Amino acid sequence: MKKHVAALMVLFAAASWSMLFAGPEDDRMAFEKYFTSKFPETPKHDFINGIYSIDPPSREQWLEIEEFPPYELSIDAGRSAWEKPFANGKGYADCFGDGAVRGQYPYWDSGRKEIITMELAINECREANGEEPLKYGKGKLADISAYMSFMSRGQKINVIIPEDDPDALAAYERGKQFYYSKRGQLNFACIDCHGSGSGNLVRADRLSPALGHVSHWPVYRSKWGNMGTLHRRFGGCNRQVRAASFKPQSPQYRELELFLTYMSNGLEYNGPGARK
Amino acid sequence: MMKKTILLSVLALVLSFSQVSANAEFEAAWKAADEKRMEAAAVGYEWRDTKKFLKQAKEAAEQGDLDKAMKLVAKAHEQSEDAITQQAREVHLWSSRVIR
Repeated sequence: MKKHVAALMVLFAAASWSMLFAGPEDDRMAFEKYFTSKFPETPKHDFINGIYSIDPPSREQWLEIEEFPPYELSIDAGRSAWEKPFANGKGYADCFGDGAVRGQYPYWDSGRKEIITMELAINECREANGEEPLKYGKGKLADISAYMSFMSRGQKINVIIPEDDPDALAAYERGKQFYYSKRGQLNFACIDCHGSGSGNLVRADRLSPALGHVSHWPVYRSKWGNMGTLHRRFGGCNRQVRAASFKPQSPQYRELELFLTYMSNGLEYNGPGARK
Repeated sequence: MMKKTILLSVLALVLSFSQVSANAEFEAAWKAADEKRMEAAAVGYEWRDTKKFLKQAKEAAEQGDLDKAMKLVAKAHEQSEDAITQQAREVHLWSSRVIR
């Protein structure tokens, strides 16, 4: 009898431990299952199309927009910038090869103990070659990002959290905590809108599911009237719930990007994109 | 005539002192509210409009509307207190929302 009680206690402790301290891969599988169960009509690979993967009327409009995509000018501007050499004669190709590198970002740099995003790497490439860094969020940096994303279309999202680096796991956990924490005067967490609330209407707009959220950046947003990066959107989301936003490429948003991108591991990058 | 002049001077002096005192009270309240805002920002939980309310309070005070200025300062202070409480609560509650 004592043996049975002890065995049950061990089982209970193990179950509690896994509930409380699930690793990134457990998180991702649960995340994916949640959305594929919530929207059974949507094939898993289609979640990269955001709201258009779950809302047929919006999808029809979007497909029409995609015939003459509003982000094309940005890709062209990015390509021109890509081809123009820096003052030292080198160029982006010296840092990124043919530019098809979106699938390598974001990643945890164990030496620097920080998360490197593609937009951060673009500016680091510039600075390493004696050029001024570009403003994050929109403009020229978004154009170069759009060109590189276009070149990377079809690459798989494959974020790796090194198991032997507790700092990497801590950064992932901070991003996860940010995602699930309520903030701002309206007291909303990211997951409130894009998890349980996904598919619901907010005024005239339907909320998109979080799975695949990171795949299609930068985005031409009709509301902005121009291109913007993922971190620009993070800031907008925070301000919508009346929280002060963080700066693009701040540690907070890089951690958020790491977590959210990990959640979409296995899906394809399909940026740049067009959204309402 | 002399008495009237003295009386008016004293009155002006009293009014001037009370204005100085009200301004000092506003400045102290504004500083306290801004410190509270920075406390909320330090834990990553500043709310969107708090800084705007503090700016509007300064403008109202400069235009002599201390009543409006004090109300805005009180609103900003309260927002930051709520934000700090929100952060302390979320440290414990966020994990309950994780998709498992």
